Amino acid sequence: MFEHTIPVLMALYGVAGVVYFIRVLLGPTVLDSILAGDCVSLDVALIALLVAVYYENNLLAGGAFFLVLWAFVLDVFASKYLVKGEVGV
Amino acid sequence: MILSLIGVVLLIVGAVCDIFGAIGMHRFGNFYLRLHAATVGTVGGKFYPFIGAGLIALDRGLLSVAGVAFLSAFTLLITTSVGSHALAYAAERAGVVKIEHNELGGDWDD
Repeated sequence: MFEHTIPVLMALYGVAGVVYFIRVLLGPTVLDSILAGDCVSLDVALIALLVAVYYENNLLAGGAFFLVLWAFVLDVFASKYLVKGEVGV
Repeated sequence: MILSLIGVVLLIVGAVCDIFGAIGMHRFGNFYLRLHAATVGTVGGKFYPFIGAGLIALDRGLLSVAGVAFLSAFTLLITTSVGSHALAYAAERAGVVKIEHNELGGDWDD
């Protein structure tokens, strides 16, 4: 019944991801780019999960979980190196 | 059927929150305000859609996809707050973002 709704929602999430990606490119500081990059990776994870649901295929779902973990690891390691002063702006 | 309906409603609400968060990332002029917009776009725009996608997958009999979706949502709910706090701490400690007007600094120089 919802076969036409899921592609429209995927397109909406894709548009939001593109708007986030503009902030990745424009970010005045490296933290803005990291923050927007987190949102882009989570958008890609959600779109991959929706593709897995739409095509009823299990293979893309594992990649979505690793993208969620990637966003967290990017936050924590970038913060760690910024606090230590080993990475500039 | 009812699980798919709830899932689609959660996906629509999440899409609206995600687009609001994406607009806020460009409208707000400071890193800390953009952190708030990103949190709106992450918790409202990613956590609820993960739950919704899991409900749709559960209704269609895709148990592995549903399990990954619920696990991703739970992981996201925990790690988003930790990551945001770490980024704000790093921004303040490294001096990357300057605080223009500190409301908590007192009125000694007024």
